[in-house]
Amino acid sequence: MYTCSSHWGTKVSSQESLGKKPLHVLEKIRENLEKLNEKMEIMIELQKHGRRDLQPVPDAPLDVMTLLSMPDHLRKTAMVLCRMGRATADEIAQQTQRARAVESAYLNQLVIMGYLKKERKGRKAYFYLDKENQG
Amino acid sequence: MRALGKILAVHSYKGGTGKTLLSINLSAALAKRGRRVALFDLDFRAPSLSTLLQVDKVDHWLNDYLNGICDIDKVLVNFSGRVGNNGKLFVGMANPSVEAIRDMSSKDRKWEMRALGRLLALRSALLNDGGYDYLVFDTSPGLQYSSINAIVAADVVIVATTCDRSDVEGTKRMLGELYDLFDKKTEVVMNKVLQDVSGKLGKNGFQSDINQVPLLALIPCYCDVSRAAGTTVFVEEKPDHPFTKILNDMVDKLDKI
Repeated sequence: MYTCSSHWGTKVSSQESLGKKPLHVLEKIRENLEKLNEKMEIMIELQKHGRRDLQPVPDAPLDVMTLLSMPDHLRKTAMVLCRMGRATADEIAQQTQRARAVESAYLNQLVIMGYLKKERKGRKAYFYLDKENQG
Repeated sequence: MRALGKILAVHSYKGGTGKTLLSINLSAALAKRGRRVALFDLDFRAPSLSTLLQVDKVDHWLNDYLNGICDIDKVLVNFSGRVGNNGKLFVGMANPSVEAIRDMSSKDRKWEMRALGRLLALRSALLNDGGYDYLVFDTSPGLQYSSINAIVAADVVIVATTCDRSDVEGTKRMLGELYDLFDKKTEVVMNKVLQDVSGKLGKNGFQSDINQVPLLALIPCYCDVSRAAGTTVFVEEKPDHPFTKILNDMVDKLDKI
């Protein structure tokens, strides 16, 4: 049996940790990779559309006048979420006929802008209108 | 399995284009064909359905539903007796009191957002679960919050316009800068067309005028309609009137959308 040294200086048996909770470890890696992917998608979108459209508005209600003034690509996503109330990027993508990664990026932009909230449940990320605003 | 119903919003750029007349008669014509229809007065700045349908008092107004005070079934008044053929017509009325109009005019953006949520919820409550085939929204003219909420919640927008130049130009702008932005299926109705103008130009003459959006109907200016002052449900009370025939043709087309 060999041991590996972690960054924190404690010696952990790799076989032992993988043997005990291999699925848990893999899930964690996958979750972190997905988070990393989301961040990269946001960065790509920021480069494409510039930061001008992404100024956060604190406590911003997603009302129809706001929808009207949004760029077309975000309005499409926001309108589907308005209809659905709460959805994953996958569910939105099914409605808009765009790629899941694209919808994920747009949804995250809307979160940054303060119009949507995001909640993780296990591996799934749910986007929804602010409860306090939605009533 | 029953096909899911549709939400129609009747809107216009300017006031006085005949939205309410169209809404009432379209709803009655749909109901007469056996459809279950709910008509809503979303013109909170100038409510008119309660007056035209001669209702003095209701348990709950549509205002109450949007304010979160009651469920939608408490708002709907059964008017099926007003339409023949065992039609099912229900109406949700806006409160016409000055106090209610003032209250609805002073709502903030968060309230309007919640109101949109409540309008969107009607699809599941009435079309999916309530067995309704059509919801018809009679709206305020122009770019009002309540009207845009109705447009966003609707499947099809019926835009009424007169031949007035400013009305036609305003309608064109709304087609390009409002309905299109929300990806709405839009149908234009040209109303109160003078008989000599409608004879001279016909439908095709106006088609190119309204941004290539085909006309759902061209309705001549009928003295009988003006004389009735909005209180006659033509499709029920005057089945042989040419106005009724045009409304029935409109319903044929709407049913196929």
